Amino acid sequence: MQAALAAMAAHTVMLSTYSSPTLFSQIQSPNSHPLPHSSFHGLSVKLPLKSQFQSMFLAAAHKPLTVVAATEKAVAVPKPLTVVAATKKAVAVLKGNSSVEGVVTLSQEDDGPTTVNVRITGLTPGPHGFHLHEYGDTTNGCISTGPHFNPKSLTHGAPEDEIRHAGDLGNIVANADGVAEVTIVDNQISLTGPDAVIGRALVVHELEDDLGKGGHELSLSTGNAGGRLACGVVGLTPV
Amino acid sequence: MAFLRSVATTTAIAASALPAAFALSSLSSSSSSSPSQSFRFPKPQNLSFLSSTPSLNPNRSCLATSFTNSPSAIHMDAPTSEQKPSHQSDAALPELLTEYMVDMKCEGCVNSVKNKLQTVDGVKSVEVDLNSQVVRILGSTPVKTMTEALEQTGRKARLIGQGIPEDFLVSAAVAEFKGPDIFGVVRLAQVNMELARIEANFSGLPPGKHGWSINEFGDVTEGAASTGKVFNPSKEEANEPLGDLGTLDADENGNAFFSGVKEKLRVADLIGRSLVVYGTADKSDSGIKAAVIARSAGVGENYKKLCTCDGTTIWEATGNDFVTSKV
Repeated sequence: MQAALAAMAAHTVMLSTYSSPTLFSQIQSPNSHPLPHSSFHGLSVKLPLKSQFQSMFLAAAHKPLTVVAATEKAVAVPKPLTVVAATKKAVAVLKGNSSVEGVVTLSQEDDGPTTVNVRITGLTPGPHGFHLHEYGDTTNGCISTGPHFNPKSLTHGAPEDEIRHAGDLGNIVANADGVAEVTIVDNQISLTGPDAVIGRALVVHELEDDLGKGGHELSLSTGNAGGRLACGVVGLTPV
Repeated sequence: MAFLRSVATTTAIAASALPAAFALSSLSSSSSSSPSQSFRFPKPQNLSFLSSTPSLNPNRSCLATSFTNSPSAIHMDAPTSEQKPSHQSDAALPELLTEYMVDMKCEGCVNSVKNKLQTVDGVKSVEVDLNSQVVRILGSTPVKTMTEALEQTGRKARLIGQGIPEDFLVSAAVAEFKGPDIFGVVRLAQVNMELARIEANFSGLPPGKHGWSINEFGDVTEGAASTGKVFNPSKEEANEPLGDLGTLDADENGNAFFSGVKEKLRVADLIGRSLVVYGTADKSDSGIKAAVIARSAGVGENYKKLCTCDGTTIWEATGNDFVTSKV
């Protein structure tokens, strides 16, 4: 859902100091170059208008997230007000220290929901938390990937919840052979715009994500899903 | 081929004369960009080191890699090596704000970290916040040199952010090569709208010259073969597309180091594409290894210290930017 993300984008841009701790009160560019400032401000001025316009769309087009079985073909519903017919695609190759590996493909029609096809092998049978983190940087392991992708600054939740991180994709369930084949259709992860999922990290966890309802101290931040088994950066693919 | 640009020539020339003059020259040459205004911290004495004569130690760094030039040689070369896409040239990089988390526990640690960094060529100012254990460095020093200097203080140091996120949509990106044969980290940071800094470190490469490039897709399902062509945002067919990074030179141990700049490169346009290393210098093969270019935190964006999912702290995380052997 492009509209939602654009709205969120405005949010993050306006509150861009939010994530910066207060101790370093204000940073400005060490370069005296005039260009970056001017164009940045241009962008931030434009966004609120856009988001206001699109939030109407958001209200109209809001649909709960659905998880459908892998065998069913996810049908993207064409929107009547389509301006450009464009499909966007992305892929992440997940690898870890263990034998867990997999490929996740993402596709999005226009501003519609994003369909996420997951195939991960080498898992223990049962549910595993599946999240999108803010950064795709793993140079400092899990820490440099930052928190769950959360442009709206909400608490952790289930994919179908109103209150969730955009990166909360719930659980994927591995069969008796340790293979998880799942299709997720989600409205909060877009493939375009400032809050696009491209370049961020998809992570599959050791344990089940309690979806914020486990009562554990970590339930509302990570879903208490244990360590990471594998991760991969979402990259662009030819359409 | 305006690939490598020697910037800040005044600084470089002055610095080549006498190491002791460096601090003074950088003070005068920086007056145009007025650091006290543009680089603001709660504690405004960030330039105080410039008044005292720092004891420059030319034998810093050169820890793991034998091919690193000595710092004095780098600056002697700087004025003449203009426009030369020489790899390993870490001369005269543009200034950038880089943020580390350093394992400091007392005011003494703060002073020793500051004193150490202030002896490093290219470091213009240093700010330390003990509570958050964050060290911010403004300067033209390559990441590799700063990391080594911090580690020489006996403390763990992890790079946590580069570039000013308020100025660019995406200020920093990283591509990681995770083996099993080739390991490496390539960092891209936006300096201004027209210029990006590129720093790379590889191990496990076949010795010799390797072409490398930014390719249009970040699809590594079939390794480098599925990454498409060299990234070329201009409409016309170019002999030298923007994504072409020239060649990397791997030494006999398979290590390669690069730091330089690329004009017209915008980090935000590279997110989700890939960095590809080829077996040949002219990229006539389909590439031996590829990594997706990922978003990375800018300065002040990620102060995460603990991975709540499994309890790992930042000090336990690998943080191995400069892989010299298989890990």
